Amino acid sequence: MRTRLFLQALLYPLLAAAVLAADNEAETRLKASVDEVTVIAKNSKDRASLINQEKPALAKILNFQIMTRRAIGPGWREFTPGQQAEAVKLFTDLILRTYTAKFTPGVTPSVVFKSTTSPEPGRQEITTTSEYKGSKYDVVYRMEQAQGPWEITDVVIEGVSMVANYRAQFDSQFKQGGVDAVLKALQKAVAESK
Amino acid sequence: MKNTKLELSVGLFVLLGVAAIVYLTIKLGTGSMVGGDTYLIESRFANAGGIHPGCSVLLSGVTVGRVEGIRMDPSDYSAIVTLKLTKGLRLPTDSMASVKTSGLIGDKFIALSPGADESYLQPGTRITMTESAVDLESLIGKMAFGSVDKDKDNKQKQGKSNP
Repeated sequence: MRTRLFLQALLYPLLAAAVLAADNEAETRLKASVDEVTVIAKNSKDRASLINQEKPALAKILNFQIMTRRAIGPGWREFTPGQQAEAVKLFTDLILRTYTAKFTPGVTPSVVFKSTTSPEPGRQEITTTSEYKGSKYDVVYRMEQAQGPWEITDVVIEGVSMVANYRAQFDSQFKQGGVDAVLKALQKAVAESK
Repeated sequence: MKNTKLELSVGLFVLLGVAAIVYLTIKLGTGSMVGGDTYLIESRFANAGGIHPGCSVLLSGVTVGRVEGIRMDPSDYSAIVTLKLTKGLRLPTDSMASVKTSGLIGDKFIALSPGADESYLQPGTRITMTESAVDLESLIGKMAFGSVDKDKDNKQKQGKSNP
């Protein structure tokens, strides 16, 4: 009985510390990434250089492989490895173009980190409030640690999930015209975002 | 004697009718008429406003279950919604659950969107990728608040350009 109590007393703080460390690790990585993106936006002179510099900064923390798979949904299993690679490339391009286009050179967002929750092991949800150009948004970053560092796998803005939003569109395309329809829709969206 | 028997039969018939109506009202109201075998899974929402036991769970517009219960997780104040789904439905582990509304002011329901994972959610497990109820009033409030800020910003800009 005493041994059990001793083990509990020893293990519980260790487990709690491990969970806290995971929280901090994901949050620290996100904060560093937000800082990097903010500094680039502040120092950029024009839109072209801003987009060119923001892209690698965002690509470091966003896991496009998982995001593409989840955005396409059940149809993903019908893709050949070659088609999957093409879809990931197109989706990456689409996200980077869409989101870097929202930045204005010299204007920096202010991001307040509010809370971090762990809905399940290996997954963190970091709730923030972002203020940009006079508007406030509640943004939740869903981060996961698969094998390497913590990475963003979804962004929920004002309660609307980016992955769910794209999944609804791509799933509908897949049901109408299969893999080719999804790839065509992605190519069209990328072309329109240029 | 004959009259008493007849009255008793009529009374019994009326009672049975009332009991049947009460039973159906309760069963249909709480939505426990999802036929066949079922299983339970949970989904975690930041805000489950408008969802109550008996609400429909839809997938591709088809009713595949009902909301069995709602409770709060005291550790992070999130809402845990228990879903009762038809047994044959296999959901990939990266499936999403969203709180949706029929029309602008209609009833709330849970919409499921299956993912692409090879593994499937087992009974008793939890969907953690969810979309909560969109708070229209809060959004309208933010739009109004935002416009006030923009006016202030515009005035500041005008002040700077016209010293």
